Amino acid sequence: MKADPENNQERDQLTGDEIMHGHEYDGIQELNNKLPRWWLGLFYITIIIGVIYILRFHVLKTAPLQEEEYLTEMAAFEQTPSEEAPAPSSSSSGDEATVTGTRLTDAASLEGGKTVYDKNCAVCHLAQGQGLVGPNLTDAYWIHGGSFEDIVKVINTGVIEKGMIAWKDMLSVTDIQQVASFIMSLQGTNPPNPKAQEGTLFNPGS
Amino acid sequence: MDQEKFYYDNRIVKYFLYATLFWGVIGMLVGILAALQLVWPELSFNTAMTTFSRIRPLHTNAVIFAFVGNAIFAGTYYSLQRLCKARMFSDTLSYIHFWGWQLIIVSAALTFLAGYTLSKEYAELEWPIDLAITIIWVIFGWNMFGTLLKRRTRHIYVAVWFYIATFVTVAVLHIVNSIEIPVNFLKSYPVFAGVQDALVQWWYGHNAVAFFLTTPFLGLMYYYLPKAANRPVYSYRLSIIHFWALIFIYIWAGPHHLLYSSLPDWAQTLGTVFSIILIAPSWGGMLNGLLTLRGAWDKVREDPVLKFFVVAVTAYGMSTLEGPLMSTKTVNAFTHFTDWTIAHVHIGALGWNGFLTFGMLYWMVPRLFGTQLFSRKLANTHFWIGTLGILFYAIPLYWAAITQTLMWKEFTPDGFLKYPNFLETVTQLIPMYAARAFGGLLYITGVIIGVYNLVKTVTHGKFIRDEAASAAPLDTISGRRIQGESRHRWLERKPVQFMIVSLVVILIGGLVEIIPTWLIKSNVPTIASVKPYTPLELEGRDIYIREGCYTCHSQMIRPFRSETERYGEYSKAGEFVYDHPFQWGSKRTGPDLAREGVKSGRLYKPDSWHYNHMDDPRKLNEQSIMPRYSWLLRNRLNSCTTARKISVMQKLGVPYPEGYAEQANDDLSIQAQQIADGLKSAGIEVRSDKEIIALIAYLQRLGTDIMEGR
Repeated sequence: MKADPENNQERDQLTGDEIMHGHEYDGIQELNNKLPRWWLGLFYITIIIGVIYILRFHVLKTAPLQEEEYLTEMAAFEQTPSEEAPAPSSSSSGDEATVTGTRLTDAASLEGGKTVYDKNCAVCHLAQGQGLVGPNLTDAYWIHGGSFEDIVKVINTGVIEKGMIAWKDMLSVTDIQQVASFIMSLQGTNPPNPKAQEGTLFNPGS
Repeated sequence: MDQEKFYYDNRIVKYFLYATLFWGVIGMLVGILAALQLVWPELSFNTAMTTFSRIRPLHTNAVIFAFVGNAIFAGTYYSLQRLCKARMFSDTLSYIHFWGWQLIIVSAALTFLAGYTLSKEYAELEWPIDLAITIIWVIFGWNMFGTLLKRRTRHIYVAVWFYIATFVTVAVLHIVNSIEIPVNFLKSYPVFAGVQDALVQWWYGHNAVAFFLTTPFLGLMYYYLPKAANRPVYSYRLSIIHFWALIFIYIWAGPHHLLYSSLPDWAQTLGTVFSIILIAPSWGGMLNGLLTLRGAWDKVREDPVLKFFVVAVTAYGMSTLEGPLMSTKTVNAFTHFTDWTIAHVHIGALGWNGFLTFGMLYWMVPRLFGTQLFSRKLANTHFWIGTLGILFYAIPLYWAAITQTLMWKEFTPDGFLKYPNFLETVTQLIPMYAARAFGGLLYITGVIIGVYNLVKTVTHGKFIRDEAASAAPLDTISGRRIQGESRHRWLERKPVQFMIVSLVVILIGGLVEIIPTWLIKSNVPTIASVKPYTPLELEGRDIYIREGCYTCHSQMIRPFRSETERYGEYSKAGEFVYDHPFQWGSKRTGPDLAREGVKSGRLYKPDSWHYNHMDDPRKLNEQSIMPRYSWLLRNRLNSCTTARKISVMQKLGVPYPEGYAEQANDDLSIQAQQIADGLKSAGIEVRSDKEIIALIAYLQRLGTDIMEGR
């Protein structure tokens, strides 16, 4: 059966491609087509990219590994402190109340305070301040005092043994001023299902 | 030469085919339930068995191992017999395989719902079932090689190469990833811990995708697509090159699941590099499929079988390009832990596996029953609804992923996280989750139409149980290469040698990555302050695993400012050395918990918060989509096996003092009482022997070893 392959090649009728001799499996034939060139090119290119990748990160070390990348990211942030507000960590010194300012009562600030409250505080003090895990913020009883300064202090430094975390590195000074003002505005709102009173009655005048 | 007459066993094909349809519908219905639970958490019904975190693993396993698994076996048993011109080696083995596999599926479903899980994704099954899988898998291989050895064709076809690679690789993956020490009949701890466990698990997980969802389906494609199109395969050479390149390279790519994690950089690099190099070998399969249709595209317009195949192969091409892109650091930094991954795998599962399966069934069922397909029109309807379903499924999830990842990473000009409350980034996604559920509903509607069409076809035909065929027996020729025979052509007539070469090829990548991580100390720098869990924390950890918390919460803070601001100091390899199994997770539907217990952290919550939150998350967060876990407040902690658990951990190298097992229960009670007392002072009366106490102990321990404030 060994005839001249030039003349004896079987060809696919529709495409004219050469059919592999003897490659027949349950009626399935195979063509003797070459690898598509662009496909082969793609394969080689990805291998080259792989080699370059390894060289850059592990041999030449011209690209940062993840720890270095992280340190660079953090350093870039620390070098460009915002002009509008001090970087979060710088508010830790000094008297927080002085830094934070005084109670605000305008609608816009209270609205801002409510946004901060909903995002951060409601998860323990509940949406209307009625308290569940954290104490009720709507009654006149306070564990650590109910003045604006007292509230700001608790927000800033937390009461970790009771689960209240320190927020001074997580909220801006304005946020804290607004949310403390908002909390004071909750006084006497009498929401349903309040948590029982805790602490002592706070007299604003005293 | 005399022709031998013999019969193909069609009944085993029919069995697997029915099982495919049955489990397909169940697995997808469970998927719809899971999708709806993300929109309406009430649908977890406040019952352990129906809660999302047990439903999701049930869905993934049912679809992968029950639906796709049975489809592989149906397609393989049909094509292997015909490609070998022989009946299966042993009918007994065939039916042991069938019933054994179904039994495994049923026990998987029951144990998952009951909370028995190893928590390693797609390998969650406990050790007795792992053992059963090993036995049944070996029976499958035995039957396959028995058939190959009595075949009446000289060479084995490319489809069979893929079946062989599938058999041998899945065996290796399954065995290595399932090495665990039992505590009792349904509880065990894996021998690997932390970084090593993560690497082994994702070497397995990634290659389960490769060798359970990809290579067997490429084998099926190589048989059913040219059959249905009645066209020769485009290129034999491409088959050879892409087959060997694919199985060699795939194995290396596992670490791309762990980019920017505590896995050593060099291993991450290998994951990225080999994923990129994998593009062309993957596309080789797609090209050989699509180019086989040259000259037959007019048939594609008419034949629903070919339509299904074209979309399947195209979906394969899309996800095998998308996968490598997601494996680059730049893309992965954004897509990891988001719904992008879920969309990506569903392009593969619904498009590639689902559509190839249905194309194959529409082709095969009429032939098994000696009839025509009941309705071509219904098959076309299935095709279009299914295609729409894939789009409606994937597009909302891509959108959700982009939305959420940008929210996670956005800072205010003052340098604070714009969305510090994780829940805000979840609430944003609910409409997209609803759209996704709708896409799933469309897809399963198509499937149900398909089932109806196939049932009708079956009832109109007459089953050909034993299909007569004839072929000449093989005459013996030299086992060595004969003159003019290429090396590969020789290998194609030597299935056992073929398997051995495949085994060597697939072992290389795994060995290079796993052994150094295991042996070289510097890969996991030890941290002196990291101590073993207390007995109560260990029990709490087992509850965390049992309830499937890892399905929604990661424990891996990546080294990005957006993550360290949100969660605290990024995770270090040395923190996980006692974590059998690791709990890094792969998806953040909820926030990362790696530093949950750190008191100076943003995420810290007091014990009383956890108590209330487990009872009903919506008491504290009206918009939370976390399910309730209120049974933890009622269930008594089973501490009968605590001592045994400590002993097993000691065997695994966790440095509890000698004889500590006997003291463990006393220490457990003391710590539990402290937590109960603390809750009491916060106004919560709870007995110290409840499960919630142990879980709280574990959560409050998380991430504290290397941080102040313990």
